[in-house]
Amino acid sequence: MRLTSNYNKVNIFTSFVILILTGIIYYVFIHAILTDKLDRDLGVEENEIRQYTATYQKLPLPAGFLDQQVAYKEIEGEDVERTFAYTNYFNSKESEEEPGRSLVTSVKLGSKIFRVTITKSRLESEDLVRIILLITLATTLVLLASLLLINRFFFKRIWKPFYTILEQIKSFEVSKTQKIEIEPTRIDEFIELNTSVNAMAERVKQDYRELKSFTDNASHEMMTPLAVINSKLDSLLQTENFTQQQSAYIGDIYYATGKLSRLHRSLLLLSKIENNLISDRQLINMQELINGKIRQFEELFKKNNLKVNANIGSLELNMSKFLADILLNNLFSNAVRHNIDGGEIDVFLDQENLRISNTGKDINIDGMLFERFSKSVESEGMGLGLAITKQICNLYNFNIKHNYLNGRHVFSIKFNGGS
Amino acid sequence: MKILIVEDEQLLLHSILDYLKGEGNVCESASDFNSALNKINLYSYDCILLDLGLPGGEGLEILTKIKALKKGDGVLIISARHALDDKLAGLDLGADDYLVKPFHLSELKARLTAIVRRKNFNGNNIVVFNEISIHQSSMFVSVNDNKLTLTKKEFNLLIYFLANKNKVVSKNAIAEHLWGDEMDMSDDFDFIYTHVKNLRKKLLEAGSKDYLHSVYGVGYKFSQQ
Repeated sequence: MRLTSNYNKVNIFTSFVILILTGIIYYVFIHAILTDKLDRDLGVEENEIRQYTATYQKLPLPAGFLDQQVAYKEIEGEDVERTFAYTNYFNSKESEEEPGRSLVTSVKLGSKIFRVTITKSRLESEDLVRIILLITLATTLVLLASLLLINRFFFKRIWKPFYTILEQIKSFEVSKTQKIEIEPTRIDEFIELNTSVNAMAERVKQDYRELKSFTDNASHEMMTPLAVINSKLDSLLQTENFTQQQSAYIGDIYYATGKLSRLHRSLLLLSKIENNLISDRQLINMQELINGKIRQFEELFKKNNLKVNANIGSLELNMSKFLADILLNNLFSNAVRHNIDGGEIDVFLDQENLRISNTGKDINIDGMLFERFSKSVESEGMGLGLAITKQICNLYNFNIKHNYLNGRHVFSIKFNGGS
Repeated sequence: MKILIVEDEQLLLHSILDYLKGEGNVCESASDFNSALNKINLYSYDCILLDLGLPGGEGLEILTKIKALKKGDGVLIISARHALDDKLAGLDLGADDYLVKPFHLSELKARLTAIVRRKNFNGNNIVVFNEISIHQSSMFVSVNDNKLTLTKKEFNLLIYFLANKNKVVSKNAIAEHLWGDEMDMSDDFDFIYTHVKNLRKKLLEAGSKDYLHSVYGVGYKFSQQ
């Protein structure tokens, strides 16, 4: 949930509750005050009736009252209890039923006791209360509406620098040279955020550059001793007269140095591709290249009794010959290495896709497949082949995918209309 | 062959000198930019092995100088820089070949021999080893006038062995030579065994002596004895 909507939710909810409560309190108090006033008016009338009765020894005529209606009834026995009540009565002046407040009391006239009901219209006070209620409601609505409008337009504008910088952080790539552009803003927090993010990006880039130049130098420096070991090994081999054991050791050292130099070349290649340092772009006839690869790998196919089904259409791609070669080498080596004896390899190429699939066991490194140094337990490779393949695809904006379906590994590359 | 080795890493330089000497080869060496320039100005070589990372100057400049002198020396660049750009620049400037460190001495020798042969005979020469003769350009091989039918890999293997005759060539070097390091199959020596076995069988069947010897299971040697 966004900060603004979260904040709004609380804000609007609180305002709403407070306004409603205020409305209720208004209603109750004003209602009470008005009722009290009515009651006092009724009390004044009662007094007038009592004084009139005491002075003139008769009851005042009901028609003599202007704003209230008075009714008498002679009762036997006890006094009636003096009570106030809400009633509906028929207002003869307006000739309609109206809500009213009435006081029931009793007056003594000689030996007779009369019950007196004084009723006063409540209409005005009801109207007053209703108007107050309406005003409160209207204020609530206007307030809510303005809050929503503020959120919609004002907050959006105020938070714009934040979202701009967020977008840039999202697309930030340490190996790219692009800087984080800041949106001009007057808000202190955002200014601070901008400076901090920029400082952080600069620091990260600096670290990355240092690390990269360290790796480059280290690998470069490693090459020379490795070349020395290799050449000394070749020289050692010329001295001959080894025992069986000694020659086995030499074989092992050869194996290890060979692996080390291949590892090294692969890592250098990866860093070159990542930094887009391979520039021999040209039109590559993929059909020709793939057919060539199939011939090149023929011995390997034969050795593992693999059957190759090729369906290769024509396609030209604008990419590095060197990388196209490596891409296919890796995919084919992979298809051979992770195959089963007597298995199959299918190669399919059309204008959009290259698909190389091979029979093979399922390996449990899904999602890690294109990561560096991730490989299945049985694999003899270094775990860099597919990482390089992936990098090459990234460089040219190809999509590479791996599926395991019906006992087959399928690698499909979508060329996205060339590069 | 007269060879100049321009290499600043002494240990590597000595290995190369050791490996190349003999068979009437004359090897000289230079370990820095200026001495390399001096030697190039003063003498002619069949081939110059040129390391690009030299103290005192850029190796590619030496290459430019060599080409400016128009002496026709072959140039084989050996570099730790596996940069494609360097390779292309080197080849554009007129280098004959480019070898990336680390390399096998047998590979170096094979490339060197190939360059010199190309220079001296325009590739139309015949390599003769006792009763075996090889026509490089037509891929024609005969033993005592018996024609041999070799596959491309067997042919390459034979050329490789002849360039490194009397030397022990490791299986790793052969694998890299035949398949290149990109294929990443160089640990699989079964193929080499098969190819060497077939080559040997074909040579023997055609009437050649047995020159191909397995050495301790580590490599092979092509020699008289």
